Amino acid sequence: MKGLIGLFLILVSQISVAVEQAETIFKQLAPSLYQIRLIDKASGEKSSIGSGFQISSDGLIATNYHVISSFARHPEKYRIEYLDNKGNKALLTLKSIDVINDLALVKREVDGEMPFFEISQSIPVKGEELYSLGNPHDLGMIVVPGTYNGLKKESFNDRIHFTGSVNSGMSGGPVVNKDTQVVGVNVATSGNQIGFLVPHDKLLALISQYQQGDLLTIDEQMESQLLANQKELVETLLKSDWQLKKLGEGLIPTIDVPFIRCWGESNADKDDALIMLAVANCSLDENTYIASNFFTGSLEMEYRFMQAKKLTDTKFYQLFQRQIARVMPGNKAGKDDVSEFECQHDIIMPEHQKINNKAVFCTRAYKGFSDLYDVIYLGVSIDRHDQALLSHFTFAGISQKSAQAFTKKFMESVSWK
Amino acid sequence: MEIIIEEISRGQKLLGRHKFNKNSISIGRGYHSDIILSDPHVCAEHLSIEFDGENWRVVDLNSINGCFLGEGKKPANGHIIHSGDVVTIGKSQIRIVFPHHPVVDSITLSPFENLINLTKQPLVLTINVVIFALLTGWMFFLNNPKEVNFTQLFVPAVGITLMFAIWPAAVALVSHLTKHDARVFTQLGICFVFYNLSWVIDFLEALVNFNTSSQSFMPHLIIVLPIALAFCLFWLNCHIGFHMSKVRRVVVAASLTTLLFGGTFLIQLSKKPEFSVRPQFNSTLLTPNFMLAPSNNVDEFIENSNDLFKHVQATKNKDE
Repeated sequence: MKGLIGLFLILVSQISVAVEQAETIFKQLAPSLYQIRLIDKASGEKSSIGSGFQISSDGLIATNYHVISSFARHPEKYRIEYLDNKGNKALLTLKSIDVINDLALVKREVDGEMPFFEISQSIPVKGEELYSLGNPHDLGMIVVPGTYNGLKKESFNDRIHFTGSVNSGMSGGPVVNKDTQVVGVNVATSGNQIGFLVPHDKLLALISQYQQGDLLTIDEQMESQLLANQKELVETLLKSDWQLKKLGEGLIPTIDVPFIRCWGESNADKDDALIMLAVANCSLDENTYIASNFFTGSLEMEYRFMQAKKLTDTKFYQLFQRQIARVMPGNKAGKDDVSEFECQHDIIMPEHQKINNKAVFCTRAYKGFSDLYDVIYLGVSIDRHDQALLSHFTFAGISQKSAQAFTKKFMESVSWK
Repeated sequence: MEIIIEEISRGQKLLGRHKFNKNSISIGRGYHSDIILSDPHVCAEHLSIEFDGENWRVVDLNSINGCFLGEGKKPANGHIIHSGDVVTIGKSQIRIVFPHHPVVDSITLSPFENLINLTKQPLVLTINVVIFALLTGWMFFLNNPKEVNFTQLFVPAVGITLMFAIWPAAVALVSHLTKHDARVFTQLGICFVFYNLSWVIDFLEALVNFNTSSQSFMPHLIIVLPIALAFCLFWLNCHIGFHMSKVRRVVVAASLTTLLFGGTFLIQLSKKPEFSVRPQFNSTLLTPNFMLAPSNNVDEFIENSNDLFKHVQATKNKDE
């Protein structure tokens, strides 16, 4: 019994230590924490809020790109303001962005030297206690303790998996270790107790680039970052192992990289279905946020194997035709962001001659960026009477060269067994 | 002296024709008149037409509403008549023609006439209607992703067949109303032949779309076929139902074709959203049996996409 009570006491004291630590951290750091607000000039009201933290004595503040994205896209419509812990408000200027890692640097006017967050030089160890700071739901600054769980494996661009509640509005807030050094920036949440952070090295890279005097405009930065990222992504994909897997009578490629994950489904349980259908779906669950409703960088591949059971060839192909007419792009970009899709189609037999496809390729261009496109490919086998293999991908935000290289590889990889 | 008097309607349609061989003809509502008009605006003794040995003249018999030349307000009393003159009496009109009045050239009997008459034969007509109904039902069957029973196909097939019979019936009605021969079965026969031809053209279109690439110009050419077919149908509708000059027939048929395709085009245009997220492409699929064209290779397809990218880029630059 004594032992049990002792254990209890130890537990209680540890909890109070954690609370105390959180309190000191908050007090120490509060003056360098800001709420970042985007004010709509016409209405004078805030249109979105996030968090930010000062990282230099001369007023440089780090936040998320998505917090200030509306300003980056339409600087004439908005202004950026900060609100500090004493309730002071003032204007901020946008200095630099990293759209891929969802980071932005803004700057405030300072009268003299100011306290700021120090950025860690080392990576935390797995299980290390971290503190996420921010301003969820406009409730005022809070501290959320949590644990470092390493980098997310299924991610092309590094993200820290943080076990702790990162809420909306905390975006752009810092995550610090016990020594109050920044190890990451709040960026996203995936439900209860699962948060994602941008690792501190991305922030360090952005700061050093800024300090070296990057002369590009915000739009130019965005364009060059998107182009560089898609190039690296497509190169990685093309270099990786394209494993051929069986889907019904067909062979379909799946790319062996951790950040592309596949799912499957079939109607094998439905005896009365006219067509036996097996679907495999592989996608890169990663989006680069450019503006609300305008995400890019995603890749989705879908394969369908169909076998006619109780119907004639004519009806089989007629139903198939209705199905393929419903292809949609992966993102919901609008008129201001992209042009309309234009398509080409042909009857294509790859070199190995094992399949004859009706191939459709569609693309649309990004407005405001050169050489960035969304592409859609659709291949439909037309050489078997009662079987069909559909291969399809949509790739958002890639260059013409990357799109063509990827499409070629994809088209040549699909075949019958 | 011989004279011909035609009663005509305001729309220049012939209502009655009278030939006289005397020098005075009386016209009025009274039963003793040579030409009895039932128009209440005409007096019992309205006017007479008199031959004075040299000329025919109109003599107004002090009628209440008078008589006028043509559509105008010029009184006809004492007017020397020329062949083809029209005189308005009350709300009726008569046309006076002399025996030597020229007539239009006779129309040659169309060589298609036998063919056209064939389509109204009960057997041929029935076969055509049944083919149309069967094809319609078959299309419903093909496009239904679930299993369907006979009634589910029978009802729309018959419904649509009846709906398509409305057009020939309407044309026949109009020709009947305009004092032409209705020829309703001929109209029906011709229409259903053409409806069935349009199925054939649909199939041809699908065949071309399935076999050609987006670089080919064939799909653009084949669009002409349904337009030509519609023109021919309207031309025949006019030919069967109405007596009209060749030029007029072509104009009417062309106008109807323009109305049909232009109207459809305008409706599509008005429904088109300002910005379409969905890609538009040719999704025609037929069974492997109809794959007649040789296949291309992947490299060529990628090569062709250069033009597509160029085009998309150009459209984007235009928008910006």
